[in-house]
Amino acid sequence: MMVLLDLALAAWLLALALHVVMERNERSAIIAFLALGLLLGLVWVRLAAPDVALTEIAIGGGGTGILLLRAEAALRGRGKHEEGATRGGKLAVAAGCAVISAGLGFAVLALASPAPTLAPAASDAIAATGLGNPVTAVLLAYRALDTLLEKVVVLLALVGIWSLAPDGIWGGAPEVAPAAVPGPLAWLARILPPFGVVIGVYMFWVGADAPGGTFQAGTVLAAMWLLVIMAGLLPPPDAASPALRLVLVGGPALFLAIAFLGFIVADGFLAYPEGFAKPLIVAIEAALTLSVAAALAMLVAGPARKAPAR
Amino acid sequence: MPEFLAAAALVILAVTAVALFRVLRSRVAAERMMAVQLLGTGGAGALLLLGAASGSPATIDVALLLALFAAFACVAFVLDPAEPAGEDSPEEQP
Repeated sequence: MMVLLDLALAAWLLALALHVVMERNERSAIIAFLALGLLLGLVWVRLAAPDVALTEIAIGGGGTGILLLRAEAALRGRGKHEEGATRGGKLAVAAGCAVISAGLGFAVLALASPAPTLAPAASDAIAATGLGNPVTAVLLAYRALDTLLEKVVVLLALVGIWSLAPDGIWGGAPEVAPAAVPGPLAWLARILPPFGVVIGVYMFWVGADAPGGTFQAGTVLAAMWLLVIMAGLLPPPDAASPALRLVLVGGPALFLAIAFLGFIVADGFLAYPEGFAKPLIVAIEAALTLSVAAALAMLVAGPARKAPAR
Repeated sequence: MPEFLAAAALVILAVTAVALFRVLRSRVAAERMMAVQLLGTGGAGALLLLGAASGSPATIDVALLLALFAAFACVAFVLDPAEPAGEDSPEEQP
Protein backbone atom coordinates (compact mmCIF):
# COMPACT_ATOMS: atom_id res chain seq x y z
CA MET A 1 0.00 0.00 0.00
CA MET A 2 2.81 2.37 0.92
CA VAL A 3 4.55 1.65 -2.38
CA LEU A 4 1.37 2.54 -4.23
CA LEU A 5 1.11 5.75 -2.21
CA ASP A 6 4.70 6.70 -2.99
CA LEU A 7 4.23 6.00 -6.69
CA ALA A 8 1.08 8.14 -6.74
CA LEU A 9 2.91 10.97 -4.95
CA ALA A 10 5.83 10.81 -7.37
CA ALA A 11 3.50 10.83 -10.39
CA TRP A 12 1.56 13.75 -8.95
CA LEU A 13 4.74 15.69 -8.25
CA LEU A 14 5.99 15.15 -11.81
CA ALA A 15 2.65 16.16 -13.32
CA LEU A 16 2.52 19.31 -11.19
CA ALA A 17 6.12 20.21 -12.07
CA LEU A 18 5.30 19.81 -15.77
CA HIS A 19 2.25 21.99 -15.29
CA VAL A 20 4.40 24.73 -13.68
CA VAL A 21 6.79 24.67 -16.64
CA MET A 22 4.10 24.54 -19.34
CA GLU A 23 1.79 27.19 -17.86
CA ARG A 24 1.89 30.34 -20.00
CA ASN A 25 0.43 32.79 -17.49
CA GLU A 26 3.21 33.73 -15.03
CA ARG A 27 0.94 34.23 -12.03
CA SER A 28 -0.80 30.89 -12.56
CA ALA A 29 2.62 29.26 -12.83
CA ILE A 30 3.68 30.86 -9.54
CA ILE A 31 0.51 29.68 -7.81
CA ALA A 32 1.09 26.16 -9.13
CA PHE A 33 4.69 26.46 -7.91
CA LEU A 34 3.35 27.30 -4.43
CA ALA A 35 1.27 24.13 -4.58
CA LEU A 36 4.37 22.22 -5.69
CA GLY A 37 6.23 23.44 -2.58
CA LEU A 38 3.45 22.24 -0.30
CA LEU A 39 3.29 18.89 -2.12
CA LEU A 40 7.07 18.47 -1.76
CA GLY A 41 6.48 18.67 2.00
CA LEU A 42 4.36 15.53 1.77
CA VAL A 43 7.09 13.79 -0.21
CA TRP A 44 9.71 14.64 2.42
CA VAL A 45 7.44 13.13 5.08
CA ARG A 46 7.34 9.90 3.06
CA LEU A 47 11.15 10.04 2.86
CA ALA A 48 11.17 10.07 6.70
CA ALA A 49 12.63 13.59 6.84
CA PRO A 50 10.06 15.62 8.81
CA ASP A 51 12.61 18.40 9.53
CA VAL A 52 13.10 18.97 5.81
CA ALA A 53 9.33 18.71 5.25
CA LEU A 54 8.71 21.52 7.74
CA THR A 55 11.36 23.73 6.12
CA GLU A 56 10.09 23.01 2.61
CA ILE A 57 6.50 23.87 3.49
CA ALA A 58 7.50 27.04 5.35
CA ILE A 59 9.88 28.30 2.64
CA GLY A 60 8.04 26.96 -0.41
CA GLY A 61 4.58 28.00 0.78
CA GLY A 62 5.62 31.20 2.52
CA GLY A 63 8.50 33.40 1.50
CA THR A 64 9.12 32.09 -2.02
CA GLY A 65 5.57 32.65 -3.19
CA ILE A 66 5.49 36.26 -2.01
CA LEU A 67 8.95 36.91 -3.41
CA LEU A 68 8.01 35.56 -6.85
CA LEU A 69 4.63 37.28 -7.00
CA ARG A 70 6.15 40.63 -6.01
CA ALA A 71 8.87 40.17 -8.63
CA GLU A 72 6.23 39.32 -11.23
CA ALA A 73 4.18 42.40 -10.29
CA ALA A 74 7.29 44.59 -10.55
CA LEU A 75 8.20 43.18 -13.96
CA ARG A 76 4.71 43.28 -15.42
CA GLY A 77 4.28 45.91 -18.09
CA ARG A 78 8.01 46.40 -18.22
CA GLY A 79 9.57 44.62 -21.19
CA LYS A 80 6.48 42.56 -21.80
CA HIS A 81 6.72 43.18 -25.54
CA GLU A 82 10.14 41.61 -25.94
CA GLU A 83 9.39 37.92 -26.28
CA GLY A 84 11.89 36.02 -24.17
CA ALA A 85 13.14 32.87 -25.79
CA THR A 86 12.75 31.48 -29.29
CA ARG A 87 11.64 27.92 -29.88
CA GLY A 88 15.23 26.81 -30.35
CA GLY A 89 16.28 28.53 -27.14
CA LYS A 90 13.50 26.83 -25.20
CA LEU A 91 14.48 23.46 -26.65
CA ALA A 92 18.10 24.07 -25.65
CA VAL A 93 17.06 24.92 -22.08
CA ALA A 94 14.80 21.85 -21.97
CA ALA A 95 17.65 19.65 -23.20
CA GLY A 96 20.04 21.13 -20.63
CA CYS A 97 17.55 20.57 -17.81
CA ALA A 98 16.89 17.01 -19.00
CA VAL A 99 20.62 16.24 -19.00
CA ILE A 100 20.98 17.61 -15.45
CA SER A 101 17.94 15.64 -14.26
CA ALA A 102 19.22 12.45 -15.88
CA GLY A 103 22.66 13.02 -14.37
CA LEU A 104 21.20 13.58 -10.91
CA GLY A 105 19.00 10.51 -11.29
CA PHE A 106 21.99 8.44 -12.34
CA ALA A 107 24.04 9.75 -9.41
CA VAL A 108 21.29 8.86 -6.92
CA LEU A 109 20.87 5.37 -8.41
CA ALA A 110 24.64 4.85 -8.32
CA LEU A 111 24.91 5.64 -4.59
CA ALA A 112 26.38 2.86 -2.49
CA SER A 113 23.74 0.72 -0.79
CA PRO A 114 23.60 0.74 2.18
CA ALA A 115 24.82 4.34 2.12
CA PRO A 116 27.73 5.23 4.41
CA THR A 117 26.17 6.86 7.44
CA LEU A 118 27.15 8.65 10.62
CA ALA A 119 23.63 8.31 12.03
CA PRO A 120 24.53 5.67 14.66
CA ALA A 121 27.45 7.81 15.90
CA ALA A 122 25.16 10.86 16.06
CA SER A 123 22.55 8.95 18.03
CA ASP A 124 25.12 7.44 20.42
CA ALA A 125 26.53 10.82 21.48
CA ILE A 126 23.19 12.58 21.77
CA ALA A 127 22.88 11.90 25.50
CA ALA A 128 25.84 14.22 26.15
CA THR A 129 23.93 17.16 24.66
CA GLY A 130 20.69 16.52 26.53
CA LEU A 131 18.76 16.98 23.27
CA GLY A 132 16.21 14.57 21.84
CA ASN A 133 16.27 15.61 18.19
CA PRO A 134 19.39 14.32 16.39
CA VAL A 135 18.99 16.98 13.67
CA THR A 136 19.23 19.77 16.24
CA ALA A 137 22.20 17.99 17.86
CA VAL A 138 23.99 17.97 14.50
CA LEU A 139 23.09 21.60 13.76
CA LEU A 140 23.94 23.12 17.12
CA ALA A 141 26.42 20.74 18.73
CA TYR A 142 28.38 18.51 16.34
CA ARG A 143 28.46 20.89 13.38
CA ALA A 144 27.72 24.16 15.17
CA LEU A 145 30.41 25.98 13.19
CA ASP A 146 28.50 25.38 9.93
CA THR A 147 25.31 26.72 11.48
CA LEU A 148 27.11 29.79 12.81
CA LEU A 149 28.58 30.63 9.42
CA GLU A 150 25.24 29.95 7.74
CA LYS A 151 23.49 32.54 9.91
CA VAL A 152 26.22 35.06 9.13
CA VAL A 153 25.70 34.37 5.41
CA VAL A 154 22.00 35.22 5.80
CA LEU A 155 23.03 38.57 7.31
CA LEU A 156 25.49 39.18 4.47
CA ALA A 157 22.73 38.47 1.95
CA LEU A 158 20.55 41.02 3.71
CA VAL A 159 23.35 43.61 3.57
CA GLY A 160 23.61 42.87 -0.16
CA ILE A 161 19.88 43.52 -0.66
CA TRP A 162 19.93 46.66 1.44
CA SER A 163 22.84 47.98 -0.62
CA LEU A 164 20.53 48.14 -3.64
CA ALA A 165 18.83 51.18 -2.11
CA PRO A 166 19.76 54.54 -3.67
CA ASP A 167 22.11 56.76 -1.62
CA GLY A 168 19.43 59.29 -0.71
CA ILE A 169 17.18 56.81 1.10
CA TRP A 170 19.86 54.57 2.60
CA GLY A 171 18.67 53.31 5.96
CA GLY A 172 15.03 53.81 5.01
CA ALA A 173 12.13 51.39 5.08
CA PRO A 174 11.03 49.02 2.31
CA GLU A 175 7.60 49.41 0.81
CA VAL A 176 5.55 46.25 1.14
CA ALA A 177 1.93 47.25 1.59
CA PRO A 178 -0.13 47.91 -1.57
CA ALA A 179 -1.44 51.46 -1.98
CA ALA A 180 -4.96 50.34 -1.14
CA VAL A 181 -5.05 47.36 1.22
CA PRO A 182 -7.77 44.94 0.09
CA GLY A 183 -10.29 44.09 2.81
CA PRO A 184 -9.62 40.33 2.81
CA LEU A 185 -5.89 40.95 3.34
CA ALA A 186 -6.48 43.16 6.38
CA TRP A 187 -8.89 40.57 7.75
CA LEU A 188 -6.44 37.71 7.22
CA ALA A 189 -3.66 39.76 8.84
CA ARG A 190 -5.77 40.04 11.97
CA ILE A 191 -6.90 36.41 12.09
CA LEU A 192 -3.84 34.39 11.05
CA PRO A 193 -0.86 35.86 13.01
CA PRO A 194 -2.13 34.86 16.50
CA PHE A 195 -2.17 31.23 15.33
CA GLY A 196 1.06 31.64 13.39
CA VAL A 197 2.99 33.13 16.30
CA VAL A 198 1.88 30.31 18.61
CA ILE A 199 2.86 27.73 15.98
CA GLY A 200 6.22 29.49 15.45
CA VAL A 201 7.06 29.51 19.16
CA TYR A 202 5.96 25.88 19.36
CA MET A 203 8.23 24.97 16.43
CA PHE A 204 11.19 26.59 18.21
CA TRP A 205 10.46 24.94 21.56
CA VAL A 206 9.76 21.46 20.18
CA GLY A 207 12.95 21.61 18.05
CA ALA A 208 15.13 20.42 20.92
CA ASP A 209 13.33 17.09 21.19
CA ALA A 210 11.37 16.58 17.96
CA PRO A 211 11.49 17.80 14.36
CA GLY A 212 11.33 21.57 14.21
CA GLY A 213 13.82 24.20 15.27
CA THR A 214 15.30 27.62 14.62
CA PHE A 215 14.91 27.88 10.88
CA GLN A 216 11.36 26.53 10.69
CA ALA A 217 10.25 28.73 13.59
CA GLY A 218 12.02 31.77 12.13
CA THR A 219 10.32 31.25 8.77
CA VAL A 220 6.87 31.01 10.35
CA LEU A 221 7.45 34.17 12.42
CA ALA A 222 8.85 36.00 9.37
CA ALA A 223 5.75 35.07 7.34
CA MET A 224 3.46 36.35 10.07
CA TRP A 225 5.39 39.61 10.43
CA LEU A 226 5.31 40.13 6.66
CA LEU A 227 1.58 39.50 6.66
CA VAL A 228 1.02 42.24 9.25
CA ILE A 229 3.32 44.66 7.39
CA MET A 230 1.73 43.89 4.03
CA ALA A 231 -1.73 44.61 5.41
CA GLY A 232 -0.45 47.99 6.61
CA LEU A 233 -1.26 47.19 10.25
CA LEU A 234 2.38 47.91 11.22
CA PRO A 235 4.82 50.13 9.33
CA PRO A 236 7.88 48.34 7.92
CA PRO A 237 10.96 49.12 10.04
CA ASP A 238 13.72 51.46 8.89
CA ALA A 239 16.87 49.56 7.96
CA ALA A 240 18.73 52.03 10.19
CA SER A 241 16.51 51.32 13.19
CA PRO A 242 18.69 50.23 16.14
CA ALA A 243 16.04 47.79 17.41
CA LEU A 244 15.92 45.97 14.07
CA ARG A 245 19.69 45.79 13.82
CA LEU A 246 19.95 44.51 17.41
CA VAL A 247 17.52 41.68 16.67
CA LEU A 248 19.32 40.86 13.41
CA VAL A 249 22.77 40.70 15.00
CA GLY A 250 21.62 39.34 18.38
CA GLY A 251 21.42 35.68 17.37
CA PRO A 252 24.81 35.31 15.68
CA ALA A 253 26.41 37.56 18.34
CA LEU A 254 25.14 35.42 21.21
CA PHE A 255 26.23 32.30 19.29
CA LEU A 256 29.75 33.76 18.87
CA ALA A 257 29.93 34.88 22.51
CA ILE A 258 29.00 31.41 23.76
CA ALA A 259 31.43 29.90 21.25
CA PHE A 260 34.32 31.98 22.64
CA LEU A 261 33.17 31.27 26.19
CA GLY A 262 33.96 27.66 25.33
CA PHE A 263 37.68 28.51 25.56
CA ILE A 264 37.23 29.39 29.24
CA VAL A 265 34.61 27.02 30.59
CA ALA A 266 34.99 24.04 28.22
CA ASP A 267 37.45 22.42 25.81
CA GLY A 268 37.63 25.15 23.22
CA PHE A 269 35.81 27.11 20.52
CA LEU A 270 32.13 26.14 20.30
CA ALA A 271 32.44 23.54 23.05
CA TYR A 272 29.65 23.51 25.63
CA PRO A 273 30.43 22.89 29.32
CA GLU A 274 29.21 19.50 30.51
CA GLY A 275 25.64 19.51 31.79
CA PHE A 276 24.93 22.98 30.40
CA ALA A 277 24.75 22.02 26.73
CA LYS A 278 20.97 21.98 26.46
CA PRO A 279 20.20 25.32 28.20
CA LEU A 280 22.93 27.02 26.17
CA ILE A 281 21.66 25.50 22.92
CA VAL A 282 18.08 26.55 23.69
CA ALA A 283 19.28 30.10 24.48
CA ILE A 284 21.20 30.27 21.19
CA GLU A 285 18.20 28.89 19.34
CA ALA A 286 15.86 31.48 20.87
CA ALA A 287 18.07 34.39 19.81
CA LEU A 288 18.72 32.82 16.40
CA THR A 289 15.00 32.29 15.79
CA LEU A 290 14.35 36.02 16.17
CA SER A 291 17.37 36.88 14.00
CA VAL A 292 16.31 34.47 11.26
CA ALA A 293 12.73 35.74 11.38
CA ALA A 294 13.82 39.39 11.06
CA ALA A 295 16.40 38.61 8.36
CA LEU A 296 14.02 36.52 6.21
CA ALA A 297 11.22 39.08 6.48
CA MET A 298 13.60 41.90 5.50
CA LEU A 299 15.05 39.81 2.64
CA VAL A 300 11.57 39.36 1.18
CA ALA A 301 10.63 43.00 1.83
CA GLY A 302 13.58 44.16 -0.28
CA PRO A 303 15.67 47.33 -0.35
CA ALA A 304 14.55 50.67 1.03
CA ARG A 305 12.01 52.68 -0.96
CA LYS A 306 11.33 55.46 1.49
CA ALA A 307 13.75 57.90 3.16
CA PRO A 308 14.40 57.08 6.81
CA ALA A 309 12.39 58.96 9.40
CA ARG A 310 14.73 61.21 11.36
CA MET B 1 -5.21 -0.85 10.72
CA PRO B 2 -2.14 0.98 9.37
CA GLU B 3 -2.90 -0.54 5.97
CA PHE B 4 -6.43 0.84 6.09
CA LEU B 5 -5.23 4.30 7.15
CA ALA B 6 -2.63 4.36 4.37
CA ALA B 7 -5.31 3.33 1.87
CA ALA B 8 -7.53 6.15 3.10
CA ALA B 9 -4.63 8.59 2.70
CA LEU B 10 -4.09 7.33 -0.84
CA VAL B 11 -7.76 7.86 -1.70
CA ILE B 12 -7.68 11.40 -0.28
CA LEU B 13 -4.48 12.21 -2.18
CA ALA B 14 -5.88 10.79 -5.43
CA VAL B 15 -9.10 12.78 -5.13
CA THR B 16 -7.15 15.92 -4.22
CA ALA B 17 -4.81 15.43 -7.19
CA VAL B 18 -7.66 15.08 -9.68
CA ALA B 19 -9.45 18.12 -8.24
CA LEU B 20 -6.20 20.10 -8.12
CA PHE B 21 -5.55 19.79 -11.83
CA ARG B 22 -9.16 20.60 -12.65
CA VAL B 23 -8.97 23.75 -10.52
CA LEU B 24 -5.51 24.77 -11.74
CA ARG B 25 -6.78 24.77 -15.32
CA SER B 26 -9.67 27.06 -14.43
CA ARG B 27 -9.82 30.37 -16.26
CA VAL B 28 -10.86 32.28 -13.14
CA ALA B 29 -7.84 33.45 -11.14
CA ALA B 30 -9.59 33.08 -7.77
CA GLU B 31 -10.32 29.45 -8.56
CA ARG B 32 -6.68 28.76 -9.39
CA MET B 33 -5.79 30.14 -5.98
CA MET B 34 -8.25 27.73 -4.41
CA ALA B 35 -6.02 24.94 -5.72
CA VAL B 36 -3.51 25.78 -2.99
CA GLN B 37 -6.29 25.77 -0.38
CA LEU B 38 -7.43 22.40 -1.70
CA LEU B 39 -3.92 21.02 -1.40
CA GLY B 40 -3.69 22.40 2.13
CA THR B 41 -6.87 20.63 3.20
CA GLY B 42 -6.28 17.37 1.34
CA GLY B 43 -2.58 17.28 2.22
CA ALA B 44 -3.22 17.91 5.92
CA GLY B 45 -5.85 15.17 5.96
CA ALA B 46 -3.55 12.70 4.24
CA LEU B 47 -0.66 13.63 6.56
CA LEU B 48 -2.80 13.10 9.68
CA LEU B 49 -3.81 9.65 8.39
CA LEU B 50 -0.19 8.80 7.53
CA GLY B 51 0.96 10.03 10.92
CA ALA B 52 -1.55 7.76 12.63
CA ALA B 53 -0.58 4.88 10.35
CA SER B 54 3.15 5.18 11.04
CA GLY B 55 2.77 6.36 14.62
CA SER B 56 5.06 9.37 14.19
CA PRO B 57 3.80 12.49 15.98
CA ALA B 58 6.10 14.75 13.92
CA THR B 59 3.86 14.16 10.91
CA ILE B 60 1.06 15.93 12.77
CA ASP B 61 3.32 19.00 13.14
CA VAL B 62 3.91 18.93 9.38
CA ALA B 63 0.13 18.86 8.84
CA LEU B 64 -0.19 21.86 11.18
CA LEU B 65 2.35 23.85 9.22
CA LEU B 66 0.76 22.82 5.91
CA ALA B 67 -2.60 24.16 7.08
CA LEU B 68 -1.01 27.42 8.24
CA PHE B 69 0.89 28.08 5.02
CA ALA B 70 -1.98 27.10 2.75
CA ALA B 71 -3.95 29.87 4.46
CA PHE B 72 -0.95 32.19 4.23
CA ALA B 73 -0.70 31.55 0.48
CA CYS B 74 -3.98 33.48 0.04
CA VAL B 75 -1.97 36.62 0.76
CA ALA B 76 0.09 36.10 -2.34
CA PHE B 77 -3.10 36.31 -4.30
CA VAL B 78 -4.59 39.33 -2.59
CA LEU B 79 -1.31 41.18 -2.63
CA ASP B 80 -0.96 42.51 -6.11
CA PRO B 81 -1.10 46.28 -6.52
CA ALA B 82 -1.00 46.00 -10.30
CA GLU B 83 -4.09 43.83 -10.45
CA PRO B 84 -7.02 45.90 -11.70
CA ALA B 85 -10.20 45.00 -9.88
CA GLY B 86 -12.38 42.55 -11.73
CA GLU B 87 -9.73 41.61 -14.25
CA ASP B 88 -11.12 38.15 -14.50
CA SER B 89 -14.80 38.94 -14.73
CA PRO B 90 -14.95 39.08 -18.54
CA GLU B 91 -13.33 35.66 -18.72
CA GLU B 92 -15.88 34.04 -16.47
CA GLN B 93 -18.14 31.63 -18.24
CA PRO B 94 -21.76 31.48 -17.15
